[in-house]
Amino acid sequence: MLFLTRLALKNLARHRNRTVITSIIIAFAVLMYILYDSLIGGMSEMSYATIIDYEAGHLQVVTEEYWQAEKEEEELPLEHLLTFDDRLQKEIRQLEGFLAAAPELNFLARLNNGVDELPVLGKGIDPEAFGSVFAMQNQFVEGSMFAPGESRAVMGKRLADLMELGVGDYITLLVKDKEGTFNTIEAEIAGLVHTSNPNVNQNIVYLPLALAGKGLNVDEQVSKVIIRLENKETAAKSAAGLESRVKKIDNRLAVYPWHELEAITFIDAAELEKQVIFAIILLIGAIAIINTVILAALERMGEIGMMKALGLQNKEVVFTFVLESTGIGIIGGIAGILLGTVSVALLAKFGVDFGAMAGMDITTFGLPIIGKIYGVWNPAGFVRVFSFVVLTSLLASILPAYWAADKDPVKTIYHR
Amino acid sequence: MKKRVCLFVCAILISIFATVALSALTAEEIIKRRDANEYFATAQVEAEMVIINGNRRIVKTMTSFAQGDNGLVVFTNPRDRGTKFLKRGDDLWMFFPEAEDLVKISGHMLNQGIMGSDFSYQDVMESNKLIDLYNFELIGEEEINGRPCYILEGTAAEGKEVSYYRRKSWVDKVRFVGLKEEFYARSGRLLKVMNVTKVAEVDGRWYPVESVMEDKLRRNTRTEFIIKAIEFNPQIPAGTFTLENLR
Repeated sequence: MLFLTRLALKNLARHRNRTVITSIIIAFAVLMYILYDSLIGGMSEMSYATIIDYEAGHLQVVTEEYWQAEKEEEELPLEHLLTFDDRLQKEIRQLEGFLAAAPELNFLARLNNGVDELPVLGKGIDPEAFGSVFAMQNQFVEGSMFAPGESRAVMGKRLADLMELGVGDYITLLVKDKEGTFNTIEAEIAGLVHTSNPNVNQNIVYLPLALAGKGLNVDEQVSKVIIRLENKETAAKSAAGLESRVKKIDNRLAVYPWHELEAITFIDAAELEKQVIFAIILLIGAIAIINTVILAALERMGEIGMMKALGLQNKEVVFTFVLESTGIGIIGGIAGILLGTVSVALLAKFGVDFGAMAGMDITTFGLPIIGKIYGVWNPAGFVRVFSFVVLTSLLASILPAYWAADKDPVKTIYHR
Repeated sequence: MKKRVCLFVCAILISIFATVALSALTAEEIIKRRDANEYFATAQVEAEMVIINGNRRIVKTMTSFAQGDNGLVVFTNPRDRGTKFLKRGDDLWMFFPEAEDLVKISGHMLNQGIMGSDFSYQDVMESNKLIDLYNFELIGEEEINGRPCYILEGTAAEGKEVSYYRRKSWVDKVRFVGLKEEFYARSGRLLKVMNVTKVAEVDGRWYPVESVMEDKLRRNTRTEFIIKAIEFNPQIPAGTFTLENLR
């Protein structure tokens, strides 16, 4: 056995060119896989971040009826609201890992500039709390956030451009209040933002909570309370804990972590496409391996015949071949992993700017990406792709090896 | 002396009472008489809608049927031929023949203008009598197009779901038909103005047959609504207001 192993290793060294070329192909497939996995991971992280940072936060406190209505009817009801009173605030603050909480009142409105009307999503917010939950502060391209109690508004730059509005202009929001009666909310534009979240850029108008509440006739009630935690991974656990406590204040209340949001499940739905692309990359790698192994077997018919003539049994020949092929897989795999590690390290440090490459702002296409995409480390991906290439090399060599080993040694030696 | 004063006071009181009794209808009575003219249970209407936006002018013609809470509008101009609206109670559906697609219009979409006009879906969906929706008050008198009118101000009645919180109506003093209507938001902002440009007598009642609606939140836009023919209490075939009929 040791002899056979040594023979296989010697064969690898003897056919250096073949070993190197096949290893390079395998290494390339491994590298591609790792790079793609890292970038896709980076994009998902970024998509999560844009939704968490601009719309969802980590936890949402909301009444169950509201959550259902929003999800199923795709409407923003002014019923089933909640009161963000001292008691609720205190309970939320005691949450472990709590950073900030912001109430918001969501409503549908028609944004009017005197000539045209556009349906938009209105959000009544408390500017200070909003700033500590969401990452809006540094996204202002013009003007600034309003102060509470002002009759001023903030909206996306793209929405403002579309409606030919600028800072200092007055807008009218036509809304239906709680009773279903038309009302108007008038505000001066205080600031314009441009974020990596296309929804914020194109659809949302932010107003002081008091102004929105008055216009909608909902007293001091709000649609949701958005909570930011220190760590997004603890959201599910925190949600369960907080829910049991807020239910004591108002039993209609429920707490939902960020990954239960529809927008997030939407991102996750793209997972299948990713898997298909991964499969294609791996398939290319597999074909390269199988091809080389088959050719190697054909090329070395004479050698196989010789081995058998020297008294090696079929299974011993097969073992040698399989070992050799697996050796190539391991060499290629290790090279690929090393290259991948270096590339991912570079990607994670410097990132790539697809927008600059394409020469345009890709948020235009609804991709929630602004600036650079940074790679993420996914050790599981490394292990997965390495196991795959080694296993493929192993399996791919078995059949051709059997086929070659099965031949009559005399015929294989004199097959010319 | 005492007797004289008493007589004088009596005379004044009587004269005040008499003027009130002779001239003045209460706001409620005025609106009831207006409702009697303008409200109908069943009708069939041939109408034309002219949507004017800046220099753009779009004409749409339609046949509509109304019965109680239900309504059906079928567009007949070449571009929209076959497009239908069906209203059943508080629900509204739209059918597009080219796409063979049935769309339910709900929630916020009801606030949009119908086919780009100044009339919103909501505007045409309110089919109740005005007296049931608003509390009216008589606030003055004025002439509109040479016809003396009462000016009434209506505020949404408690618990009634109406689109416009407040409306001001100019009602013809003789014919009891609305000649002008201003619609306000709860905030007091004027949202829409409707001017009636032609009134005709149909089946013994006065009815506005030509009107112009202006959305006051948008500049340079108005929609003319012209009734070519109207028939009250026609025979409407059973099944007219069904979704099956829409396809």
